[in-house]
Amino acid sequence: MVRRSLTVSFTLALLLVAPLVSLAADPLVVSIWGGNWKDTVERIVAKPFTAKTGIPVEFEVGGTLDRLAKARVSKAAPLVDITLTTSHVGRLYISDGLFEKLDMAKLPNAKDLAREALRSDSHVGVWAYVYTIAYRPDVVKADITKWADLWDPKLKDKIGMPDFDPSHIITISALLEGGDEVNWQKGQERLKRLKPNIAAFFSTDARSQDLMKTGEAPIQVMLSINAFHLIDQGLNVKVITPTDKPGIVGIDTMAIMAGTKKSAAAHEFINFALSREIQEQLVAAFKAGPTNLKAAVPANLRGQAGVFTSPAEWKDRGYIMNDDVRAKTLPAWKEWFNANIVAK
Amino acid sequence: MIARGAALLLLAFLTLPTIVVIAASFNPTAILSFPPDGLSLRWYENALTYPQFRRAAVNTVIVTAASVAVALPIGTAAALALVRYPVPAPGAWNALLLSPLVIPGVAAGLGLLILAARLGLLANRSVLVVAHVVLVLPFVIRSVMVSVANLDPMMERAAASLGARPWRVFWRVTLPLLRPGLFAAVLFAVIVSANEFVVSLFISTRVTEILPVAMFTYVVNYTDPTMAALSTLFIAATFVVVFVADRLLRLATMFQIEDPR
Amino acid sequence: MLEFIPGSLRMGGFTDRNFRSILTPQYLRYIWDTIVLSAATTVLTLVASYPLAYALARTRSPARRSLLLILTLAPFFTGAIVRTYAWMLVLGNSFIRWPVKLLFEPAGVLIGLVHFSMPAMILILGAAISHINPAYERAAASLGARPARVFWRVTFPLSMPGMVSGSLVIFAWTFSAFATPELLGGGRVKMIANVVKDLALDSFNWPGSAAFAVVALALTLALLAVVGRALGRTPA
Repeated sequence: MVRRSLTVSFTLALLLVAPLVSLAADPLVVSIWGGNWKDTVERIVAKPFTAKTGIPVEFEVGGTLDRLAKARVSKAAPLVDITLTTSHVGRLYISDGLFEKLDMAKLPNAKDLAREALRSDSHVGVWAYVYTIAYRPDVVKADITKWADLWDPKLKDKIGMPDFDPSHIITISALLEGGDEVNWQKGQERLKRLKPNIAAFFSTDARSQDLMKTGEAPIQVMLSINAFHLIDQGLNVKVITPTDKPGIVGIDTMAIMAGTKKSAAAHEFINFALSREIQEQLVAAFKAGPTNLKAAVPANLRGQAGVFTSPAEWKDRGYIMNDDVRAKTLPAWKEWFNANIVAK
Repeated sequence: MIARGAALLLLAFLTLPTIVVIAASFNPTAILSFPPDGLSLRWYENALTYPQFRRAAVNTVIVTAASVAVALPIGTAAALALVRYPVPAPGAWNALLLSPLVIPGVAAGLGLLILAARLGLLANRSVLVVAHVVLVLPFVIRSVMVSVANLDPMMERAAASLGARPWRVFWRVTLPLLRPGLFAAVLFAVIVSANEFVVSLFISTRVTEILPVAMFTYVVNYTDPTMAALSTLFIAATFVVVFVADRLLRLATMFQIEDPR
Repeated sequence: MLEFIPGSLRMGGFTDRNFRSILTPQYLRYIWDTIVLSAATTVLTLVASYPLAYALARTRSPARRSLLLILTLAPFFTGAIVRTYAWMLVLGNSFIRWPVKLLFEPAGVLIGLVHFSMPAMILILGAAISHINPAYERAAASLGARPARVFWRVTFPLSMPGMVSGSLVIFAWTFSAFATPELLGGGRVKMIANVVKDLALDSFNWPGSAAFAVVALALTLALLAVVGRALGRTPA
């Protein structure tokens, strides 16, 4: 009995280990955030792309920074072909030599992009949004119209914000004190005074949504796309365009990993995502701004926070931080933020 | 009376999360509410059809089976050696073989991540298997050692004196007598491997990830009760395994809990 | 396995810079929090597990023993993720309205850690209590001691070795906890393992991360040795 089971388990082990050596079917692998992000890109970009080209697409999901860490350690043999990340973290990939230079001849749709969407010769923006204030008017009885309102003592223990990337609130605090992302120290004291109003920090989108749903943090410094997603789920959320300082613009970008064997297919995928038709669908699904200026934006989205439709709007309606400064200062910001704002 | 009340209360504490998970899994809407506005099986359907869960389930079976198959002979040999033979510095061996229990999983995971990436093996299940073998070995060795200690060497000597050659003695006498320890070892190894999370989190990709990692990814990305449905299935399966194991192995004896005389 | 980490860092020689960089008040605070949480978990787990271990060891009904054992073992074998997710549901405000905040607070992490540690403690204590010869208890009773007195003067002291080894195991286990504080701490309550991960994957400070891991490992072993010696036993 024992002998037989041993023999069986050995045979089984051999049978199982054998196929490990060869990896099955060879899809185009896209690295992206999980949840709504992956689901939407899969539905709107990947499925039609596969239908059109016959190239299967798979997704590797993770957070912004842990995907960068994995990309760094596997630089010699990249696990993914395309990476979607924020424009400034894209800078970190580039300084590590992780992105391949894009061949613009293979991206004909790039000529329709807003100038601001061409972040470098290695990564291009696919959609835009702002970090702004979103709140539940049914829970918060105050009228919030500008960034400075967040400091109102009436909002004690009401505000939620991300702890993985504090660059927005740090920059806003600096802007309100006459500084900017370079002279961010100018806003430090102001930001410390916000502490009593902060109810919670979130590390994931899921957690942010939860805090809003349960009313634990009914005011949040939030990605406009996520705020609109909550409205779609039937929650009474108001997304504002602050009147004192603009929202902080975020541009999510696509890039091709250096060393990929599927550079041609990857270019095709990116070009497809930048096409007018796909951009229009992404705009409708995310309620984000298109980077392709030819994409038509439905009337109800025009003028919404983060939805920029013309070169002029790109320039005036949001604050675009310097990618390089943002990428390089992020560790210092996080350290200061963790020690002075998150810690009790 | 007070003691009994306290015991019941603590038992309730122990089972509370299980009950809440089961209740949540039948919630009809994505936003949880209690009491629920009805019952629904949609999250079970979602859990069973979510492609990444399916793939992870297959990976779990493969990785667990392979690591148990590798760890069992190594662990048995180690247990025999540690109990039977005068190995030099037995204390050091003991400590080394049990060290995976003490080394923080995060540190081990990071180390393996870098090593696997260097070797270009990050997209390969073999890294997971190696890690799991190391992690389950202490449990295998511990379980088999108990049986080895209870094994009377006279039985083997008797077989040898009747002319059986060493291999035959091993196959025909030693192994069958070690059966309880081997079964316990397999039970522990399967459970530890199928639930391993921390080390696996660092060294898996979408192709190789096992269920606990896929579940973690789901929890941090979605708030709907799909995880509650999957957890309920997981808990049910565990109850069945533990129940059957109790019947077959007399778990109380295995954990050295005996009848009060 | 730790030696893989320094070996892959492309560093020029050894330096104590990495150790100094993590010996700042902020990081020492994480170490202190971890020690406090681990100690609290150990004590609470011991208190909460004892009655159940006693019932498991001393019940005369095999059916009841089996039931207790299955209810103890099932959570033990369900794995960290399922159990921690379950606690997220219990502690979050979507299901039960708690008067005080529990999720993403030290109290919530503590509850999760105690629940996670109880099965192991119950098994270790159960074995220890079951090995106490009931003849001692009967002797004390026959000399007129009341049940409570028998328990406190005979059973409890004799179960001390089990309590010590159980506590050491739980302390070491909790000290390297990752999943429970990661999910129930929500980034606000961090233990050493979470900081090691953050340093490596979020701040890309691999040397700092490795140094912190080494400090953690050394601390665990040192604490276990000290506590073990103080209690007159070496860590099992």
